[in-house]
Amino acid sequence: MDSHRRTWDWDSSQCRAQMDQVFFREQDYIQAGSPDHKEFWAFFDRFQRFKTKKDMSGVAKEDRGDGTDRKKAKVDLGLPKEYDARYRINVSVCSRDIEERLGKSEHRGRQRSSGPGPQEISDCRLALLHFLDFTQRQSFGKLAKLRREQKNLPIFQYRDRIVELVRTHPVVVVAGDTGCGKSTQVPQYLLSAGFSYISCTQPRRIACISLAKRVSFESLNQYGSKVGYQIRFETSRTTSTKLLFLTEGLLLRQIQQDKTLSQYQVVIVDEVHERHLHCDFLLGVLRSLLAERQDLRLILMSATINIKLFSDYFGSAPVLQVPGRLFPIQVVYQPIPPDEQPSRSEKLDPRPYLRILQGIDQRYPPEERGDLLLFLSGMTEISTIQEACQVYATHTRRWIVLPLHSTLSIAQQDKVFDIAPPGVRKCIISTNIAETSVTIDGVRFVVDSGKVKEMSFDPKAKMQRLQEFWISRASSEQRKGRAGRTGPGVCYRLYAESDYDAFAPYPVPEIHRVALDSLILQMKSMCLGDPLSFIFIDPPPASSIQTAVTYLKEQGALDSRGELTSIGSLLAQLPVDVVIGKMLVLGSLFHLVEPVLTVAAALSVQSPFLRSTQHNPDCTTARQPLHSNQGDPFTLLNTFNAWVEVKGERGGGSRKWCRRRGLEEQRLYEMVNLRRQFKDLLRSHSLLESEGGSSAPSAGDRGQRRERLTERRRLHQMKRDHELQEGGKRKVLRLEEGGDGGLSSGSDTEDKSRGRKDKDRQNMDIQEVKFKLRHNVSQLQEAVTVSQDLSSRQQALLKLLLCRGLYPQLALPDEHNSTRKDSEQVFHTKNKQGVVIHPTSVFASDPEVLHVPEDDGGEMGSDKRDSSRHQLLAFVTLLETNKPYLSNCVRVPALQALLLVANSMDTNADCTRLVVDGWLELELRDPSEALRVLSTALKLRAEWERLLLAQLGQSGAAEPAAAEQAVSRRATEKLSEGLVRFLLYTEVSYSLRRLTALQTQNLYVGPQAESESSSSETPDLSVLFPGAQAKPDPIKGGLRVTSFFTYNCLMDSKDLYSECLRTFWSCPNCDLYMPLTPLERMHHEASCRPAGEQQESQDGAESEKASSSSSSSMSSLTRVYHCDVCNEDLKLTSTEILKHKRQHMYTAK
Amino acid sequence: MDQTTTEIPPKIFTCQLCGLSSPFVYYGQKPPNTRAIVLLEECFVTKDPFSPEKEKFLVLGSTCSLCSLCVCVASDCSLFYTKRFCMRCVNKHLDQFPHQIQAELAKKKQQSSKAAVS
Ligand SMILES: [Zn+2]
Ligand SMILES: [Zn+2]
Repeated sequence: MDSHRRTWDWDSSQCRAQMDQVFFREQDYIQAGSPDHKEFWAFFDRFQRFKTKKDMSGVAKEDRGDGTDRKKAKVDLGLPKEYDARYRINVSVCSRDIEERLGKSEHRGRQRSSGPGPQEISDCRLALLHFLDFTQRQSFGKLAKLRREQKNLPIFQYRDRIVELVRTHPVVVVAGDTGCGKSTQVPQYLLSAGFSYISCTQPRRIACISLAKRVSFESLNQYGSKVGYQIRFETSRTTSTKLLFLTEGLLLRQIQQDKTLSQYQVVIVDEVHERHLHCDFLLGVLRSLLAERQDLRLILMSATINIKLFSDYFGSAPVLQVPGRLFPIQVVYQPIPPDEQPSRSEKLDPRPYLRILQGIDQRYPPEERGDLLLFLSGMTEISTIQEACQVYATHTRRWIVLPLHSTLSIAQQDKVFDIAPPGVRKCIISTNIAETSVTIDGVRFVVDSGKVKEMSFDPKAKMQRLQEFWISRASSEQRKGRAGRTGPGVCYRLYAESDYDAFAPYPVPEIHRVALDSLILQMKSMCLGDPLSFIFIDPPPASSIQTAVTYLKEQGALDSRGELTSIGSLLAQLPVDVVIGKMLVLGSLFHLVEPVLTVAAALSVQSPFLRSTQHNPDCTTARQPLHSNQGDPFTLLNTFNAWVEVKGERGGGSRKWCRRRGLEEQRLYEMVNLRRQFKDLLRSHSLLESEGGSSAPSAGDRGQRRERLTERRRLHQMKRDHELQEGGKRKVLRLEEGGDGGLSSGSDTEDKSRGRKDKDRQNMDIQEVKFKLRHNVSQLQEAVTVSQDLSSRQQALLKLLLCRGLYPQLALPDEHNSTRKDSEQVFHTKNKQGVVIHPTSVFASDPEVLHVPEDDGGEMGSDKRDSSRHQLLAFVTLLETNKPYLSNCVRVPALQALLLVANSMDTNADCTRLVVDGWLELELRDPSEALRVLSTALKLRAEWERLLLAQLGQSGAAEPAAAEQAVSRRATEKLSEGLVRFLLYTEVSYSLRRLTALQTQNLYVGPQAESESSSSETPDLSVLFPGAQAKPDPIKGGLRVTSFFTYNCLMDSKDLYSECLRTFWSCPNCDLYMPLTPLERMHHEASCRPAGEQQESQDGAESEKASSSSSSSMSSLTRVYHCDVCNEDLKLTSTEILKHKRQHMYTAK
Repeated sequence: MDQTTTEIPPKIFTCQLCGLSSPFVYYGQKPPNTRAIVLLEECFVTKDPFSPEKEKFLVLGSTCSLCSLCVCVASDCSLFYTKRFCMRCVNKHLDQFPHQIQAELAKKKQQSSKAAVS
């Protein structure tokens, strides 16, 4: 035995492995190789050291035998005489040696001469028992701490009251200020009271994730899915989820699918006081839903702001008010002296802000920790003050200055959570993002400028506006409160107390500020009736509802009666702007789905191009190949495609690639997710064939599939690991780390962020992991290849689709732009003159591509503006900050695009003068060319509309017939061919200008009482434009040919049937040769198709022979015509009527 | 919705001294799914919520061997020394406990009173 002992070495891995076979077998509590097993051996080492130390000090040996005392006791506890720490452990372990002793596994040989001896086994057992006791204590300690913290929250006292109220009332309002714990506790109270199927909405996605994480931890379900979250692209919801955090928008979408919301028993709407558009609407919807669902429980949670409003809205619902937990905050009013007040055009004067920093440095010793949070209205203001503070900080070395706003990169935003080194304070300069969205601990000082920039919608100019306002008292208090979260604080208000008193009590709710298009569309699709009579908590002005309805009609989402069209009902289900949704639908018709998906996704997220790197020459050079002078959507498309390629080749290396180009990769991840969602949506509406064929994953052999499966398992593990270690310790900032955050260029380039590399890498890995889990990279690459290197034809078509989607968001370059400097290029929209291109747009740096080529004058007449190359810009946003800016623009050929997409086209008699949407005037020199172009456009549009309707109709049907699809595919190809030809090869010279106000007033001839235009005389054009009959336009005059085209209504027009306008014309398709008016000619052209092109029986109505045979399909096209000359009722098609009338005309002459 | 009725309310353990309460899944000496583990007293056991592994258990508390009070395992509420004793009983019979434990408790008392003063 002795010799054996000498060979035993606790440090040898072999010896430990032998011990593992005794204690850590497959069936044991702790298995070899598990994390706990690793921890045990670490513990073992500590334990052995501790034991040796104790043995040496000899403490254990003193034994004074307390037997004398024990005899006196009334009760004998029967405790062992000698103390042993082991008696304090309530666990025992059955290990191999014990099993062997009990004879359970005697077949296992006992003669392991080199194995551990009884002493080693006993030593190890003791260590294991202590380890188990230690882990028990550790976990129980965590649990106790958690319960202690929960108990200490102000809301804890109201726990039973809340549950009671919810049990007895359909609606309960819980009002409590920051820190009272309502968001985390109320759902838990309900859970433990036995409610299940609870949903809790949040205005922000991040809050959904972080709350789900926190609450699942607190409700001891960290590793289960009892508590989950669901946001746009991500969900942790399973069938066992009982409490779900989700965004307001998502709950609304769920109501769209499930009218009574039967999947939930309880709905909690959190942060109702923020009054977001979705939230206000959600409350309205839930209010009417409560009538149908008497068992539904609704809880509104709010800050203690305007509580009565919510309670009253729900029939005096009971309110439970919970005090917040804030430390005292001293308020200092420090109004800015008049000479330091910023004038409108000037930069902000930094002196008032610097004085506060200085004051803090003088009054508070640096050892007393506490950071400063400074609220400014916008990014420009932030960079001005940041610059000044940075100079001060560099000088004093007592501050780290950090900006915080939404356009910063994620990594830069994250810095505000890091810790300043001792003796240094963070000075965080933020927009109102830090008022509610971002919570930073450790703030002791708040500086409040009292200003905020808010987005509002100007319905007159059809423009978003970002304007500066005074904040409300509620916001002011919210800002102040940020100073007292972790200890007593100070709030400096840069305005007078009298200003404060004059502030509005609450911020203006979003529903009063923004365009309501999406809201109205959603209301329509939810069948909520007339939006004007819907009971909102705080109804928006009727005019903004009306504006939205008009806009939706313009967009074709609503019909003239305000009902949802088929395209409208589809748009209502897409979680994007109407214009983007339209692009998707249009793209699905042609073979341009892939690029359209990308563009639509790219236009729906923030730009990936970081503003801060815009003036960095390295970034600009690296970005250059991505630029497209066709327009910003194409630059975005190129960028996305290039990124996907890099991802395919280099995986995680894409981060570096992005950084080189000043790209925020997070945005590209958002794009790829959104793109996927769009694709799924289109597919679920049968607008896209489901995946299959060659690229299907089943095509791979079994080995490949297994590989992919293992890979996925590995990725899932990585994601789990990441989630476990997430929320770890914060980094300590370096003094140099502040400063150039968003100011000077290149702050995020590699050399400067070297210190952050570890963190970056970790971030990168998890993003990459999630990306790989969600997307099949090779499939994505395939999709991207389709949209890379678009031919000029595809590009032209794609531009047209974007233009039709974005219509009526069009801008006309000013005629004098070619003589202006690049920076002074001016554009006009219908409702707003003198707008400029946002500096981030490709056209800001390359405006020449928009100019009309000088040598392209055609005839060198008096009018120099004649050209066949006029262009328009279709744009995504028009936003006024200090100037009205157009962003995300794409250029399109003016004449062709307008003819193909405009809602209102008016012409004179020979169609040489065209007024589009009442503000753009096009004049063509050659009447025959004008006619040709117009009639081609009309034909193309009719066909496009027909196919689009067929496509949408198909999407309604459960299963589209395969044959039908094949037909439409051929028709689609033909149409796109026609469109492309029209776009690229229409070489017509014309002038393009904006009408003056005076001109628009006297534009139309107005209704005419002449007998000539009585209905019997009016040619029937229903063949060309189904559903539309040419009839006199009651307002404009002339003939309304289609919903978008009115003929001969312009003031200078000549008479419709005036003989002088008839010109001899021979039809290329049939043998017709006669003098015709432009209208007659167009009409004939539309109904006369070249032989062999009669795909559909309906369209074959051009020959007289066919019409005479009275088949039922013909009869729909013929009508009874009473000829006064012959005095006879004739059954003729409209062409035939014209021909017939003409016979009499000639005979009369 | 019949969803509510199908839910079995969880059994709750509550410490009669400090009020800590938490659901438990097992009461006894042999926590489920832990073959090699035997507890030396009847315990209220739950799954360890802080461990990702399903089989890891956590002892919440048990009953005092003298007065049958239901107590949690926090050192302020109970003590295990071959048996479970609630803190009340420990204090009542302090003399019978080995001096190591007595010293430890005295030290803790001192510390907590100091904390209360400051
Ligand atoms: Zn207790
Ligand atoms: Zn007791």
